[in-house]
Amino acid sequence: MTWRTTLCLCTALLLTPATWANQPEDNGQSSASPIPAMNETDLAAGRQLFSVHCARCHGMQGDGGEGPSLQRARLKHVSDDESLFEVINDGIQGTGMPGTWAPNDDEIWQIAGFVRSLGKLPEEPMPGDPAAGAILYADSACATCHISRGQGRGVGPELTEVGLRRNAEYLRRSLTNPDADSPMLDSQITGRINGFLTVRAVASDGEYEGLRVSEDEFSVQLRDLRGTIHSFEKSQLLRYEKAFGHSLMPGYLTVLNNQNTDDLVSYLMSLKGDS
Amino acid sequence: MNHCAAVKKSVPLTIRSLITLIVITIAIPSAAQINFERLLADEANGADWLSYSGGYRSERFSPLAQINRDTVKDLKVIWAYQMQPTDMSGAGLQETTPLVAEGIMYLTESPSSVTALDALTGRLLWHWSPEIDEEVLHIGFPKVNRGLAILDETVFVGTLDARLFALDAGTGAVRWETEVADNSVGFSLTLAPLVVDNLVIIGMSGAEAGVRAFIDAYDAKTGERVWRTYTVPAPGEPGSETWQGDSWQTGGGSTWLTGSYDPELDLLYWTTGNPAPDWNGDLRPGDNLFTCSLLALDPATGEMRWHFQYTPHDTHDWDANQIPILIDGKIKGQNRKLVALANRNAFYYLIDRTNGEFVHASQYSKQTWAAGIDGTGRPILIPDKEPSEEGTLVWPSLQGATNWFSPSYNPDTEQFFVANRRMGAVYYKADAEYEPGTPFLGGGEQALSGDDASGAVLALNGLTGEQQWEFPLQSPPWSGVMATGGGLVFGSSNEGYFFALDATSGQALWRFNTGAHIRTNPMGFAIDGKQRVAITGGQTLYVFGLNQ
Repeated sequence: MTWRTTLCLCTALLLTPATWANQPEDNGQSSASPIPAMNETDLAAGRQLFSVHCARCHGMQGDGGEGPSLQRARLKHVSDDESLFEVINDGIQGTGMPGTWAPNDDEIWQIAGFVRSLGKLPEEPMPGDPAAGAILYADSACATCHISRGQGRGVGPELTEVGLRRNAEYLRRSLTNPDADSPMLDSQITGRINGFLTVRAVASDGEYEGLRVSEDEFSVQLRDLRGTIHSFEKSQLLRYEKAFGHSLMPGYLTVLNNQNTDDLVSYLMSLKGDS
Repeated sequence: MNHCAAVKKSVPLTIRSLITLIVITIAIPSAAQINFERLLADEANGADWLSYSGGYRSERFSPLAQINRDTVKDLKVIWAYQMQPTDMSGAGLQETTPLVAEGIMYLTESPSSVTALDALTGRLLWHWSPEIDEEVLHIGFPKVNRGLAILDETVFVGTLDARLFALDAGTGAVRWETEVADNSVGFSLTLAPLVVDNLVIIGMSGAEAGVRAFIDAYDAKTGERVWRTYTVPAPGEPGSETWQGDSWQTGGGSTWLTGSYDPELDLLYWTTGNPAPDWNGDLRPGDNLFTCSLLALDPATGEMRWHFQYTPHDTHDWDANQIPILIDGKIKGQNRKLVALANRNAFYYLIDRTNGEFVHASQYSKQTWAAGIDGTGRPILIPDKEPSEEGTLVWPSLQGATNWFSPSYNPDTEQFFVANRRMGAVYYKADAEYEPGTPFLGGGEQALSGDDASGAVLALNGLTGEQQWEFPLQSPPWSGVMATGGGLVFGSSNEGYFFALDATSGQALWRFNTGAHIRTNPMGFAIDGKQRVAITGGQTLYVFGLNQ
């Protein structure tokens, strides 16, 4: 349902429990990694660097936000300490995770060490009953705009792995106030862009509103609520507007009570890509 | 004017075409024979493109006019060339400007390769690729190369690991090589060299690693170094009073973009980059000469004749490594020889190129750090715009209101065209400790992005800085522009479009979607009497024309 929540393919560091279970001998360390030898001073330095470079998306405690929670034992794009270093250094193409070049190698290792320490923390508890949330998900017709586990219509963001990308607070906000967040995507071509922007195009044959799928100097492509993609030459539009701060996702603040919201949030948190 | 330019060029072009046609059809293209006199005439020669900026004045202006406002609608791809694959991790961003000499196109490919193509058909003639260690240092910039230089039968290229090579233009065989500097401490070469007389002149990158930068000149025949001029003075040298303690030893001031040359004044103009560390100015009190400056050098000796510093004590990484264009015109009724430069710091400058006197500055893009430029050319600073531990929001971003990609100048209309980045950033300050071969930055930056950032191609009055028009771009560009005698300005975008604008109005007249990010400069040439325009999008070089 909350396409706002998932939109962000900005799945920076994602957990895959199934993979973790299948690789019991991989302890996430390697011989070249300095992380096992790090002391409290290193981790404190890593925390400080994390607060400058990472916390804006991953939260001050690494508990997630626009980016995923890092308080997980296993991260999807990370197989060992070296790959964690590379993800921090280079980013993850096609997601919201940018690379960073300001910290030097030692500092990146300190950040990586701090991220590893987050993996030892217990995962965020669910606020409600995910089974009840699953019923609400179906009853609320969320699938008319979202695909989850292959089912539904792809107008808003896919929710199959939304539990890996968002924490409970972000998911709740997406349900109750979907205008509040504007997830970003990182693109090698255009840099970091507003990933799910509502746009309105007034053409000679009518007015169109939808999610911006693509845009350049000359044209814009949008997906309307039926999932239909429309392409326009900007020069031929009578008007073109970017509706910053306006989500096509309806707010459920007055529709769901607190318990319903907690249940639905819990169901969404349970969506971690496993079927 | 534009039609006049077409007529003016038509005679030599026809002769040239005839010669070229004979060469092309009777024999395979032979190696170029480009002497210094040919380089001096490059600016007016629309058929060849013999130096990075298309001539010593660096106008990046093609005088050809077959492709013009009326005909550009018929522009189409004549041939394309796919860059050679590379195994090097992180390589593959293409920023080259090809050269064209006597029917052969020479270009560089990431990280430091050179390719020769038949300019008529795009067929590969030879490809040369140096062995570069996978661990090569490139601190603060990607693994790119922007071009090469040519003299007689030799082409010259700098490499990412800071070597300079001379290659036989006919075969790609190495004539000589020399180590310009030590890559293990952060020196690197990404720029196109510039040939002046019998010297190959080249700058270097490395300020983000805390190097002490310089400009070098090498004998084109032997590869022997003739002179080296440091951009950061040692104690006792002029300018050393602007540094304290040992900070000069790691002072930066990189020279990573090709300069210009005035043969009448016999002066070489070269720009310099940021002081190091980038964002923590506390570690280097003073103006930090000769960083973020324009230098005028004696090309024979490297002696500095004068300097002009655009951004004293820079703390935002606003390198002055933009193309200095030599323009002539009337200022307050007086004929002046000028250097025009659209600076990364968002101001457009005119400097008297005979003596370095400040002539003019005007803001051409959003900036929030200076109340203006005073009568001496020094910025009037707005307080509290320095990087800070908690972050300071300032326009422009560290990538600047423009960057390395080239502007263009039409001497007939006195228009200056520049691709403009419109993006702010939050600047952070942090401690920095110099360690050879590692980043020496003193902070960082979080740039605004998405719909908070955009770009444009601007047309300015070259002699006043006044904006004439703008063509909006979706995102801050990484590609340059080229004006032509056909009344056009060619440009491109991150989104992959190569386009032609009406130089008078800024209206888009033609476009082509390359389907890939464009990070190169347009260039132009003619072969067989037919005008061509080239751009690289992604890994593909496209050559456009009106007909085969």
